[in-house]
Amino acid sequence: MPPYVLPDKCDGCKNEADPWCVAVCPGNLFVIDPVTSKALCRDPGECWDCMTCTIFCPRQAIVTQVQYQLAPIPAELIPRLGKRHITWTLIDCKGRIYRLENTILAGGEED
Amino acid sequence: MRERVHIDTDILIVGGGTAGCLAAWEARKVGGPKLRITVVDRANIRHSGSLAAGQNALNAYINQGTPEDWVAYVRYDLLGAPVREDILLSVGYELNETVALMEKEGLPIKKDAQGRYLRRGKWNIEVNGRWLKPITAKMAEKAGAQILNWVYVTELIKQDGRCVGAVGFGVRDGRFYVIKARAVLMAAGGAAGIWRSRYEGDAHHRMWYVPFNNGASYAMMKRIGAEMTGFDTRMIPLRIKDTYAPAGTLAIGVNAPMVNALGEVFMLEKEEYVRMGGHTAPTPVRVWACYREIAAGRGPIFMDTTRGDPEKVAGLREQYLDMSPTTVLYWAAHDIDPAREPIEIEADSPFLVGAHAACCGAWTIGITRMTTIPGLFASGEALGQAPSRYISGCWTCGRIAGRHMVQWLEGEGTEVPELDPGLVAQLETRTFAPLERWSKQEFFTNGKPVRGVLPREMEAHMQNVMEDYCGGRIHYFTVSEPYLEIARRRIDRLRRDQLRYLVARDLFELERAWDVINRLDCCQLVIEHISYRKETRYLGFVTRTDYPERNDAEYDCFICSVWHPETDTLVFKKYPYEQIVPGDRTKETI
Repeated sequence: MPPYVLPDKCDGCKNEADPWCVAVCPGNLFVIDPVTSKALCRDPGECWDCMTCTIFCPRQAIVTQVQYQLAPIPAELIPRLGKRHITWTLIDCKGRIYRLENTILAGGEED
Repeated sequence: MRERVHIDTDILIVGGGTAGCLAAWEARKVGGPKLRITVVDRANIRHSGSLAAGQNALNAYINQGTPEDWVAYVRYDLLGAPVREDILLSVGYELNETVALMEKEGLPIKKDAQGRYLRRGKWNIEVNGRWLKPITAKMAEKAGAQILNWVYVTELIKQDGRCVGAVGFGVRDGRFYVIKARAVLMAAGGAAGIWRSRYEGDAHHRMWYVPFNNGASYAMMKRIGAEMTGFDTRMIPLRIKDTYAPAGTLAIGVNAPMVNALGEVFMLEKEEYVRMGGHTAPTPVRVWACYREIAAGRGPIFMDTTRGDPEKVAGLREQYLDMSPTTVLYWAAHDIDPAREPIEIEADSPFLVGAHAACCGAWTIGITRMTTIPGLFASGEALGQAPSRYISGCWTCGRIAGRHMVQWLEGEGTEVPELDPGLVAQLETRTFAPLERWSKQEFFTNGKPVRGVLPREMEAHMQNVMEDYCGGRIHYFTVSEPYLEIARRRIDRLRRDQLRYLVARDLFELERAWDVINRLDCCQLVIEHISYRKETRYLGFVTRTDYPERNDAEYDCFICSVWHPETDTLVFKKYPYEQIVPGDRTKETI
């Protein structure tokens, strides 16, 4: 389920010292293209599909897809990171939309 | 010479994961404010390693009974094979306390109607674990450890027989890191990518265990002469086909029975499987049973979610979002609803682990977690012969290691003299050798090096050898000496005379180069350990067609090896198994 970056949405985290996707990828797979100043996954085959980059992207510019050899298109899973939850929008191949939520941190602790 | 970073520390933790971060926290707690603690990780400890996508359960928790009952279960789940009961007990005594600690640190643990932790099976509890890694990493941060993210450790340093640090390279800054330490903890995970992946191209990392865990723990400890053990086991996970997400959520999570293509709940309906424990048979037996059914023409195998608890089945997508968002998207792309149709399961390729259902790792002295190399400790997946500790057990194990390292510092772990500059220079040359070779290459018109081998090429060669000759899936995970002999010859060839051709064009590829160097050392351990154990003790994980029976007279013991660099051979020795928890080893106590 490698991540792909939408060029119109990605701004290369221009105000951040370390762009989010570059900072969080456990495989060190994200880089900023020196020409376009936009992010890309330099080797999609190395990706483990943890979706951490997608969760953190402040512009929701990263789209994760199941590898086509494993599943047909279309279907989408769009995370939105909150303080203690991730809200996921799931759109299946029939166009049905589901809203799902994960608690990620217990209450009462700092984020 | 590269730009160097010199670090002098008391405790060096290689791998900022489940065990490493808790080791840092405990070391600070018992070692006081002056202790210098350094954590090194190839990525960012907040998201690195096998917890990168989260987990939805903690699979080691004493819900009932005693730590002794838990140890009896762990032993049973590995078919009564020898396990280090002393180590497991030391974990069992502190498991629940550690889980409570992590709940206080922010881990959301699900509760039942009475407000108790929500059980899933006997020894498991359910959590909302997507954020397990950041919560775990916070423990190292709170401990005030110096955290070096994006540093790839390549070798441990041994001086006068003692482990006194490690070297590595910055995967982004390209610097050479030389870290001198009075105690070193190896906690850099297990190994994925030893056998051929189920898929190629953009899906070749679609696997159960995290592909960035490359066996560096095992390889580095082997290379400095630590006694290594348990590589005659390996974990073959039965998982959701194609995404290889954990299937326990389907089995004990929603009570879906495992069925064959005829709809038979074969583990409960067939005498030969009932005898071996039915649907709660030891983990390797369930792999063996599935492949027996498939070989008999009764595949594919499914978890029949249409027969699970309907309420729980309805919540499956949320449960998988906590650890495998891929599965949720895969189901949506295929229009699969687990309430309407059974979920196909399959075995992923084998993995080397020490904290899941296998025993790979270093041999350690008593419950100190110190290896046979003074000053070198092991925890997490790197600790041998103590399986089924999982996340909560690795947290606990990390704490115990942290405590024993502080004890070592107060005793024999005195100040380390200056590092031998000749040795450090040698390690630097070795670390960057694939980059240096690239700069001396000539290239074909398409950019391929004329006399250089790329890490991915060597990895593919290695994985093909292991798949075809060391009990890969194509042989239904069975193996015999004639196959092993070919595996041995080819892996030895790669290790002995092909590594000199290994090239890397940049730092990113240098990581891949070291991944394959480490994996090749793991291959040697696996081939030789499996070859040494001329019996079948771990039916389903390592099924020997030439020695199909157990041989208690010879092998009901621990098998350890030491690597001799002059001859590039492993020299084996046995340690007796010590049963602490009484009773029939092939039975659970509760």
